[in-house]
Amino acid sequence: MSSPGIAVHAGHGPVAWPPDAQYGAASAGKIGMWVFLVSDAFSFGGLLIAYGILHAGERVWHRPGEPALGILFTAFLTFLLLCSSLTNVLAYSAAMEGDRRRTVRLLAVTALLGVLFLVGQGQEWFGIVGHGLMTEGLVFGHSKRASTFYAITGFHGLHVLAGVVYILVIMSAYARGRVHAAAVELLSLFWCFVDFVWIFVFSFIYLLG
Amino acid sequence: MIPERTEIGAEETRPNKAAVHFDRRELVAAFVALAILTAVELSVARLPGIGHAARAIALIALAIAKASLIALFFMHLKHETTILKLTVAVPLAAPPIYGLVLIADTIWRFFR
Repeated sequence: MSSPGIAVHAGHGPVAWPPDAQYGAASAGKIGMWVFLVSDAFSFGGLLIAYGILHAGERVWHRPGEPALGILFTAFLTFLLLCSSLTNVLAYSAAMEGDRRRTVRLLAVTALLGVLFLVGQGQEWFGIVGHGLMTEGLVFGHSKRASTFYAITGFHGLHVLAGVVYILVIMSAYARGRVHAAAVELLSLFWCFVDFVWIFVFSFIYLLG
Repeated sequence: MIPERTEIGAEETRPNKAAVHFDRRELVAAFVALAILTAVELSVARLPGIGHAARAIALIALAIAKASLIALFFMHLKHETTILKLTVAVPLAAPPIYGLVLIADTIWRFFR
Protein backbone atom coordinates (compact mmCIF):
# COMPACT_ATOMS: atom_id res chain seq x y z
CA MET A 1 0.00 0.00 0.00
CA SER A 2 1.35 3.40 -0.87
CA SER A 3 0.44 6.99 -0.10
CA PRO A 4 -0.72 9.20 -2.94
CA GLY A 5 2.29 10.54 -4.84
CA ILE A 6 4.73 7.92 -3.58
CA ALA A 7 5.84 5.31 -6.11
CA VAL A 8 6.62 1.94 -4.55
CA HIS A 9 8.97 -0.55 -6.18
CA ALA A 10 8.28 -4.18 -5.31
CA GLY A 11 10.32 -5.19 -2.29
CA HIS A 12 12.41 -2.06 -2.07
CA GLY A 13 10.14 0.49 -0.41
CA PRO A 14 9.29 3.92 -1.72
CA VAL A 15 11.67 5.28 -4.35
CA ALA A 16 9.87 8.41 -5.54
CA TRP A 17 8.79 11.03 -3.07
CA PRO A 18 6.38 13.91 -3.38
CA PRO A 19 8.19 17.26 -3.12
CA ASP A 20 8.45 18.49 0.44
CA ALA A 21 8.25 22.18 1.31
CA GLN A 22 11.47 22.02 3.39
CA TYR A 23 13.50 19.11 1.99
CA GLY A 24 12.46 19.14 -1.67
CA ALA A 25 12.71 15.69 -3.25
CA ALA A 26 15.25 14.33 -0.73
CA SER A 27 14.19 10.85 0.40
CA ALA A 28 13.97 9.76 4.03
CA GLY A 29 17.05 7.59 3.39
CA LYS A 30 19.05 10.57 2.16
CA ILE A 31 18.06 12.78 5.11
CA GLY A 32 18.84 9.88 7.46
CA MET A 33 22.27 9.43 5.88
CA TRP A 34 23.00 13.15 6.29
CA VAL A 35 21.98 13.01 9.97
CA PHE A 36 24.26 9.96 10.45
CA LEU A 37 27.17 11.71 8.69
CA VAL A 38 26.78 14.85 10.81
CA SER A 39 26.79 12.74 14.00
CA ASP A 40 29.84 10.84 12.70
CA ALA A 41 31.53 14.17 12.01
CA PHE A 42 31.10 14.96 15.72
CA SER A 43 33.10 11.81 16.55
CA PHE A 44 35.96 13.05 14.38
CA GLY A 45 35.48 16.56 15.77
CA GLY A 46 35.86 15.20 19.31
CA LEU A 47 39.05 13.36 18.39
CA LEU A 48 40.55 16.40 16.64
CA ILE A 49 39.62 18.69 19.56
CA ALA A 50 41.29 16.23 21.97
CA TYR A 51 44.34 16.25 19.68
CA GLY A 52 44.41 20.08 19.72
CA ILE A 53 44.06 20.28 23.52
CA LEU A 54 46.79 17.69 24.14
CA HIS A 55 49.07 19.34 21.56
CA ALA A 56 48.56 22.82 23.07
CA GLY A 57 49.25 21.57 26.60
CA GLU A 58 52.44 19.63 25.82
CA ARG A 59 55.79 21.39 26.16
CA VAL A 60 57.56 18.93 23.81
CA TRP A 61 55.12 17.45 21.28
CA HIS A 62 57.60 15.82 18.91
CA ARG A 63 59.83 13.78 21.23
CA PRO A 64 63.44 13.04 20.31
CA GLY A 65 63.73 9.66 18.61
CA GLU A 66 60.23 9.75 17.14
CA PRO A 67 60.08 9.86 13.32
CA ALA A 68 58.59 12.69 11.29
CA LEU A 69 55.41 11.87 9.35
CA GLY A 70 55.77 11.30 5.59
CA ILE A 71 53.86 14.28 4.23
CA LEU A 72 54.55 13.63 0.54
CA PHE A 73 53.52 9.98 0.78
CA THR A 74 50.34 10.93 2.63
CA ALA A 75 49.63 13.66 0.05
CA PHE A 76 49.69 10.86 -2.55
CA LEU A 77 47.19 8.89 -0.43
CA THR A 78 45.06 12.05 -0.25
CA PHE A 79 45.14 12.22 -4.05
CA LEU A 80 43.99 8.59 -4.22
CA LEU A 81 41.00 9.42 -2.00
CA LEU A 82 40.17 12.46 -4.16
CA CYS A 83 40.25 10.24 -7.27
CA SER A 84 38.00 7.71 -5.53
CA SER A 85 35.47 10.44 -4.66
CA LEU A 86 35.34 11.45 -8.32
CA THR A 87 34.88 7.88 -9.59
CA ASN A 88 32.26 7.32 -6.90
CA VAL A 89 30.18 10.34 -7.82
CA LEU A 90 30.56 9.47 -11.54
CA ALA A 91 29.21 6.01 -10.65
CA TYR A 92 26.16 7.69 -9.14
CA SER A 93 25.82 9.82 -12.28
CA ALA A 94 25.91 6.64 -14.42
CA ALA A 95 23.34 5.02 -12.12
CA MET A 96 21.02 7.99 -12.59
CA GLU A 97 21.33 7.46 -16.35
CA GLY A 98 20.52 3.79 -15.91
CA ASP A 99 23.93 2.67 -17.23
CA ARG A 100 24.37 -0.38 -15.06
CA ARG A 101 27.64 -1.66 -16.54
CA ARG A 102 29.40 1.71 -16.21
CA THR A 103 28.11 2.13 -12.67
CA VAL A 104 29.54 -1.23 -11.61
CA ARG A 105 32.90 -0.52 -13.26
CA LEU A 106 33.23 2.88 -11.60
CA LEU A 107 32.25 1.44 -8.21
CA ALA A 108 34.90 -1.27 -8.68
CA VAL A 109 37.54 1.40 -9.39
CA THR A 110 36.40 3.31 -6.30
CA ALA A 111 36.74 0.18 -4.13
CA LEU A 112 40.19 -0.50 -5.60
CA LEU A 113 41.34 3.05 -4.79
CA GLY A 114 39.99 2.58 -1.25
CA VAL A 115 41.98 -0.65 -0.88
CA LEU A 116 45.11 1.13 -2.20
CA PHE A 117 44.62 3.84 0.43
CA LEU A 118 44.41 1.17 3.14
CA VAL A 119 47.54 -0.56 1.83
CA GLY A 120 49.28 2.82 1.86
CA GLN A 121 48.22 3.38 5.45
CA GLY A 122 49.48 -0.11 6.32
CA GLN A 123 52.80 0.77 4.71
CA GLU A 124 52.98 4.00 6.70
CA TRP A 125 52.16 2.29 10.02
CA PHE A 126 53.90 -1.08 9.76
CA GLY A 127 56.28 -0.75 6.83
CA ILE A 128 55.07 -3.55 4.56
CA VAL A 129 58.10 -2.69 2.41
CA GLY A 130 60.98 -1.13 4.36
CA HIS A 131 60.38 0.71 7.64
CA GLY A 132 57.09 1.91 9.09
CA LEU A 133 56.35 4.49 11.78
CA MET A 134 56.01 1.76 14.43
CA THR A 135 59.41 0.25 13.75
CA GLU A 136 60.94 3.74 13.61
CA GLY A 137 59.80 4.61 17.14
CA LEU A 138 56.29 6.08 16.92
CA VAL A 139 54.61 3.55 19.22
CA PHE A 140 51.03 3.76 20.48
CA GLY A 141 50.97 4.60 24.20
CA HIS A 142 54.54 5.90 24.33
CA SER A 143 53.60 9.56 23.78
CA LYS A 144 50.50 11.71 23.30
CA ARG A 145 51.65 12.42 19.75
CA ALA A 146 51.80 8.70 18.91
CA SER A 147 48.52 7.79 20.64
CA THR A 148 46.50 10.58 19.04
CA PHE A 149 48.07 9.86 15.63
CA TYR A 150 47.10 6.18 15.67
CA ALA A 151 43.67 6.82 17.24
CA ILE A 152 42.64 9.40 14.64
CA THR A 153 44.16 7.84 11.50
CA GLY A 154 43.00 4.40 12.70
CA PHE A 155 39.43 5.63 13.21
CA HIS A 156 39.50 7.10 9.71
CA GLY A 157 41.01 3.88 8.32
CA LEU A 158 38.10 1.94 9.83
CA HIS A 159 35.74 4.25 7.93
CA VAL A 160 37.63 3.55 4.69
CA LEU A 161 37.41 -0.20 5.37
CA ALA A 162 33.67 0.08 6.12
CA GLY A 163 33.28 2.15 2.95
CA VAL A 164 35.02 -0.47 0.80
CA VAL A 165 32.74 -3.20 2.20
CA TYR A 166 29.70 -0.93 1.66
CA ILE A 167 30.78 -0.34 -1.98
CA LEU A 168 31.22 -4.07 -2.63
CA VAL A 169 27.80 -4.87 -1.12
CA ILE A 170 25.97 -2.16 -3.11
CA MET A 171 27.95 -2.94 -6.29
CA SER A 172 26.97 -6.61 -6.08
CA ALA A 173 23.32 -5.82 -5.35
CA TYR A 174 23.17 -3.17 -8.09
CA ALA A 175 24.75 -5.50 -10.67
CA ARG A 176 22.00 -8.04 -9.91
CA GLY A 177 19.28 -5.38 -10.12
CA ARG A 178 18.36 -5.68 -6.46
CA VAL A 179 18.91 -2.00 -5.63
CA HIS A 180 18.55 1.18 -7.66
CA ALA A 181 20.26 4.54 -8.11
CA ALA A 182 18.97 5.79 -4.74
CA ALA A 183 21.16 3.19 -2.97
CA VAL A 184 24.20 4.32 -4.99
CA GLU A 185 23.44 7.91 -3.98
CA LEU A 186 23.52 7.03 -0.26
CA LEU A 187 26.78 5.11 -0.79
CA SER A 188 28.18 8.14 -2.64
CA LEU A 189 27.36 10.39 0.32
CA PHE A 190 29.15 8.06 2.77
CA TRP A 191 32.25 7.65 0.63
CA CYS A 192 32.61 11.38 -0.05
CA PHE A 193 32.25 11.96 3.70
CA VAL A 194 35.29 9.71 4.24
CA ASP A 195 37.21 12.05 1.91
CA PHE A 196 35.67 15.13 3.57
CA VAL A 197 36.95 14.04 7.00
CA TRP A 198 40.38 13.05 5.67
CA ILE A 199 40.96 16.63 4.49
CA PHE A 200 40.88 17.79 8.12
CA VAL A 201 42.90 14.82 9.40
CA PHE A 202 45.57 15.51 6.76
CA SER A 203 45.70 19.23 7.59
CA PHE A 204 45.75 18.94 11.38
CA ILE A 205 47.82 15.78 11.91
CA TYR A 206 50.26 15.90 9.00
CA LEU A 207 50.58 19.52 7.87
CA LEU A 208 50.11 21.33 11.19
CA GLY A 209 51.29 18.55 13.53
CA MET B 1 25.64 -11.10 -16.05
CA ILE B 2 25.31 -7.34 -15.98
CA PRO B 3 22.68 -5.87 -18.29
CA GLU B 4 24.18 -3.46 -20.84
CA ARG B 5 21.84 -0.59 -20.10
CA THR B 6 18.51 -0.10 -18.40
CA GLU B 7 16.17 2.75 -19.07
CA ILE B 8 15.17 4.90 -16.17
CA GLY B 9 11.66 4.03 -15.20
CA ALA B 10 9.46 6.59 -13.52
CA GLU B 11 9.54 4.54 -10.34
CA GLU B 12 13.21 3.55 -10.44
CA THR B 13 14.71 6.95 -9.79
CA ARG B 14 13.08 10.09 -8.62
CA PRO B 15 13.50 13.18 -10.76
CA ASN B 16 14.98 15.27 -7.98
CA LYS B 17 16.69 18.61 -8.30
CA ALA B 18 20.18 17.14 -7.84
CA ALA B 19 19.65 14.70 -10.70
CA VAL B 20 18.54 17.44 -13.05
CA HIS B 21 21.70 19.43 -12.31
CA PHE B 22 24.17 16.51 -12.63
CA ASP B 23 27.03 17.94 -14.70
CA ARG B 24 30.15 15.80 -15.26
CA ARG B 25 32.25 18.80 -16.34
CA GLU B 26 31.39 20.51 -13.07
CA LEU B 27 32.49 17.41 -11.14
CA VAL B 28 35.79 17.17 -13.01
CA ALA B 29 36.37 20.92 -12.46
CA ALA B 30 35.80 20.41 -8.73
CA PHE B 31 38.26 17.49 -8.75
CA VAL B 32 40.93 19.61 -10.51
CA ALA B 33 40.36 22.44 -8.01
CA LEU B 34 40.77 19.95 -5.13
CA ALA B 35 44.03 18.61 -6.58
CA ILE B 36 45.38 22.16 -7.04
CA LEU B 37 44.38 23.15 -3.49
CA THR B 38 46.17 20.05 -2.16
CA ALA B 39 49.34 21.10 -4.01
CA VAL B 40 48.97 24.61 -2.55
CA GLU B 41 48.61 23.08 0.94
CA LEU B 42 51.87 21.20 0.48
CA SER B 43 53.61 24.39 -0.66
CA VAL B 44 52.28 26.38 2.31
CA ALA B 45 53.33 23.63 4.74
CA ARG B 46 56.90 23.59 3.41
CA LEU B 47 57.41 27.28 2.59
CA PRO B 48 60.13 28.81 4.77
CA GLY B 49 59.73 32.18 6.45
CA ILE B 50 56.07 31.93 7.39
CA GLY B 51 55.03 32.30 11.02
CA HIS B 52 53.26 29.37 12.69
CA ALA B 53 50.01 31.33 13.18
CA ALA B 54 49.88 32.52 9.56
CA ARG B 55 50.67 29.00 8.31
CA ALA B 56 47.94 27.52 10.54
CA ILE B 57 45.34 30.06 9.37
CA ALA B 58 46.24 29.47 5.71
CA LEU B 59 46.10 25.66 6.05
CA ILE B 60 42.79 25.72 7.94
CA ALA B 61 41.30 28.07 5.32
CA LEU B 62 42.49 25.72 2.53
CA ALA B 63 41.03 22.70 4.35
CA ILE B 64 37.66 24.45 4.74
CA ALA B 65 37.72 25.40 1.04
CA LYS B 66 38.45 21.78 0.02
CA ALA B 67 35.80 20.35 2.36
CA SER B 68 33.25 22.85 1.00
CA LEU B 69 34.01 21.77 -2.58
CA ILE B 70 33.42 18.13 -1.65
CA ALA B 71 30.20 18.86 0.22
CA LEU B 72 28.79 21.19 -2.45
CA PHE B 73 29.72 19.27 -5.61
CA PHE B 74 30.54 15.64 -4.77
CA MET B 75 27.86 15.36 -2.07
CA HIS B 76 25.44 17.44 -4.19
CA LEU B 77 24.64 19.83 -1.34
CA LYS B 78 24.76 22.70 -3.85
CA HIS B 79 21.54 21.46 -5.42
CA GLU B 80 19.66 20.71 -2.21
CA THR B 81 17.14 22.96 -0.48
CA THR B 82 18.28 25.70 1.90
CA ILE B 83 16.79 23.83 4.86
CA LEU B 84 18.80 20.67 4.10
CA LYS B 85 21.96 22.77 3.66
CA LEU B 86 21.33 24.39 7.05
CA THR B 87 20.54 20.99 8.64
CA VAL B 88 24.07 19.93 7.70
CA ALA B 89 26.02 23.19 8.05
CA VAL B 90 24.70 24.56 11.36
CA PRO B 91 25.60 21.53 13.54
CA LEU B 92 29.01 21.28 11.83
CA ALA B 93 29.81 24.83 12.98
CA ALA B 94 29.70 23.71 16.64
CA PRO B 95 32.87 21.52 16.89
CA PRO B 96 35.23 24.25 15.60
CA ILE B 97 33.81 26.67 18.19
CA TYR B 98 34.21 24.12 21.02
CA GLY B 99 37.69 23.36 19.74
CA LEU B 100 38.81 27.00 19.64
CA VAL B 101 37.48 27.68 23.15
CA LEU B 102 38.98 24.54 24.71
CA ILE B 103 42.36 24.88 22.99
CA ALA B 104 42.53 28.59 23.92
CA ASP B 105 41.74 27.62 27.53
CA THR B 106 44.54 25.03 27.51
CA ILE B 107 47.05 27.52 26.11
CA TRP B 108 46.00 30.12 28.71
CA ARG B 109 46.47 27.62 31.56
CA PHE B 110 49.79 26.52 30.07
CA PHE B 111 51.28 30.04 30.12
CA ARG B 112 49.58 31.22 33.34
